[in-house]
Amino acid sequence: MEIDREDGRSQNQLRPLACSRNILHRAHGSASWSQGDTKVLAAVYGPKAGTKKNENPEKACIEVIWKPKTGQIGKLEKEYEMILKRTLQSICILTVNPNTTTSVMIQVVNDDGALLPSAINAACMALVDAGIPMRHLAVSICCCVARSGLVILDPTKLEEQKMKAFAYLVFPNSVHSVLPEGSPSVQGEPIENGIITSVTHGTMSVDDYFYCLERGRAASTKLSDFLRRNLQQQSTNSSKAG
Amino acid sequence: MGLPNASGDLSTEVEVDAFRRLFPLRFFEKHLLESIRPDARPLGRARDTTIALGAVASANGSALAKIGSTTMLAAIKMEVMTPSMETPDEGCIAIDFHMPPICSPIVRPGRPAEAAPVVAKQLSDTILSSGMINLKELSLVSGKAAWMAYLDIYCLDADGALFDAALLAAVAAFSHLEIPVVSLNDDGKIVLSEGQGLSDREPVNKEKRKVNLGSIPFSLTCILHKNHILADPTSEEESIMETFVTVVLDSSSQLVSLYKPGGPVLAYTSAIQDCIALTRQRVKELRKILEEAISGMEVD
Amino acid sequence: MAAKPGSAPTTYSPNVGQKNRPPIFKDNDLDWVRPDGRGFHQCRPAFFRTGAVNSASGSAYAELGNTKVIVSVFGPRESKKAMMYSDTGRLNCNVSYTTFATPVRGQGLDHKEFSSMLHKALEGAIMLETFPKTTVDVFALVLESGGSDLPVVISCASLALADAGIMMYDLVAAVSVACLGKNLVIDPILEEESFQDGSLMLTCMPSRYEVTQLTFTGEWSTPDINEAMQLCLDACKKLGKVMRTCLKDAASASQE
Repeated sequence: MEIDREDGRSQNQLRPLACSRNILHRAHGSASWSQGDTKVLAAVYGPKAGTKKNENPEKACIEVIWKPKTGQIGKLEKEYEMILKRTLQSICILTVNPNTTTSVMIQVVNDDGALLPSAINAACMALVDAGIPMRHLAVSICCCVARSGLVILDPTKLEEQKMKAFAYLVFPNSVHSVLPEGSPSVQGEPIENGIITSVTHGTMSVDDYFYCLERGRAASTKLSDFLRRNLQQQSTNSSKAG
Repeated sequence: MGLPNASGDLSTEVEVDAFRRLFPLRFFEKHLLESIRPDARPLGRARDTTIALGAVASANGSALAKIGSTTMLAAIKMEVMTPSMETPDEGCIAIDFHMPPICSPIVRPGRPAEAAPVVAKQLSDTILSSGMINLKELSLVSGKAAWMAYLDIYCLDADGALFDAALLAAVAAFSHLEIPVVSLNDDGKIVLSEGQGLSDREPVNKEKRKVNLGSIPFSLTCILHKNHILADPTSEEESIMETFVTVVLDSSSQLVSLYKPGGPVLAYTSAIQDCIALTRQRVKELRKILEEAISGMEVD
Repeated sequence: MAAKPGSAPTTYSPNVGQKNRPPIFKDNDLDWVRPDGRGFHQCRPAFFRTGAVNSASGSAYAELGNTKVIVSVFGPRESKKAMMYSDTGRLNCNVSYTTFATPVRGQGLDHKEFSSMLHKALEGAIMLETFPKTTVDVFALVLESGGSDLPVVISCASLALADAGIMMYDLVAAVSVACLGKNLVIDPILEEESFQDGSLMLTCMPSRYEVTQLTFTGEWSTPDINEAMQLCLDACKKLGKVMRTCLKDAASASQE
């Protein structure tokens, strides 16, 4: 049950993480996020007055604009925009600023696998930086299923292409404070086990998927510790986590 | 006594239709408490589904699928291309999904619906990664010519669960697809050989043939709302309760896609398991409906 | 993954180009038969059904031979924000083709003029003053093109308008005639249209015996025009009856 990874990581090992906030001066909030060689910039503008057509004016509206590294945006980018928008909508408290629009710009700096999860993490940090009211943070992770049924975490682009299937998973970060409604568990499961977003690619067995969930949850607690530590440091210097 | 009671519940004071429009969420929740939906379906039941094969004569394969009033027309047109250097013995499938302005009041001409490219991407991911079509079967002359199957799916009536209906129509169109008889002409181009007139040339594809379908993917979209799971939502339900889970399983019960794009409700393991179980049942139903449609064609 | 993003290989249809085929009739030959065996002055059997699209205010499906069309009507609804106030309602029409409608993929996209022609054909029949400030949208999709597409779209659109409850003076029926050499052929199919020397389309309100639109293209002599118009008027009258029956059937079915 061992798998050789090109960069010598173990199957559950993430690439070095780095995050810095408040890097752009004109944006209301910004963050850069990198996982190994994958690097994404996120900028938040808003809340601006008014919502777009076909949006509910009784809630705040979130708009996501995806800028690929090169070339024009196609169907893939449109899909990413939609997933990101819906994911951010579910973690933000939309009733605080009704009839406003918050724009989130994602600029891909380098894509080396796990691009969408990196963008979600970056967008989440940028929203915090902009002071947008949020329920909780979202932590996102990519799990790859190899043909042998083995699951590896945070794949590089090469690994993503080589593997038979992969899943992008987004979980809420673990809540430390006591919620007013009582214990933060639903249906006997802690709240951070709930899936905000799941996108899979390629075929896998149902058991593989649940195994992915398990591995993803374990990794997401590490990631959310990293997020929390990063947010607690008022300075913007980057820190590393394994 | 004419005043609404303390909880602000107007349900006994106003007409049903007015209540439905004013408080859509409460209207639905009142139904959910009784484990029933406004269209009289139990929560886990999908709407009536029909498939008609061969709806478009100008295409090589076509199908019309209806789930409730959501209607999808899928058609495949085969064209010839030069295969790429990396895969000289493989054809190609190009999938697109269209939402013309006729399908819904929110789509206007010149402004394509936001959902259309997303569904198109989901469809091509699902169909290509399910391995339903062996692309080697679409080869004609190795390295020289191969089939390009253009699959276009049009939404004629949008009433929720667009992806499910589109995938069903796409799968049905592939099962109706017949690859035409073609031969290589003197200019090195592939042309249709009609009748016996051109039989002096060796046909590249000897007889009309069907494509062998591997494991066929079927899908079911569910809404998660509080502790309830509603299968196969209508567009009204989709607009009120905003958490969707789309599960795609193939005939051998492999998971092709589990798609949950955000939404206010978190999906826990038990909910995911329930959605997968509902999809398993639905796959059986859909397989039967598709088989009946195919056998109906063979009788004619 | 077999998808090759970004690269769109050039493809061609294996269908033999129509120009290589022999013409379907020879000059001065009066004995040729139409490809579908109809008489020269015989229309294709028409099938209409209202209520094809649930999410629209009104809709209709029409099928004449291989020509298959769906029309949805939305409204009367709020006009675009940029529009000035108007005492009368507005009519907005759009005709589009599916990519698989034509024998060669994606050829039906160059029918931009159909939208404005549909608008002109319908506008005379609709009581626009009954819905001031608002817009009625008429959207048509040609599912399969089998010849005489525009006349079928127009007839189908008037049924969809009736289904939506938009006030009209009368239904609008439309028929076209193709001039092939010395012959006048009513309701031409795609193959005949590709060889025609001239074409004439007439849309009219059958019960009022009023013409809402008359277009002709190509070379016509005056006696031929007269004959063709008379042919169209007669055919429209019959088509109007079929459309009326369709509406009556739908109404009696909904009453039951």
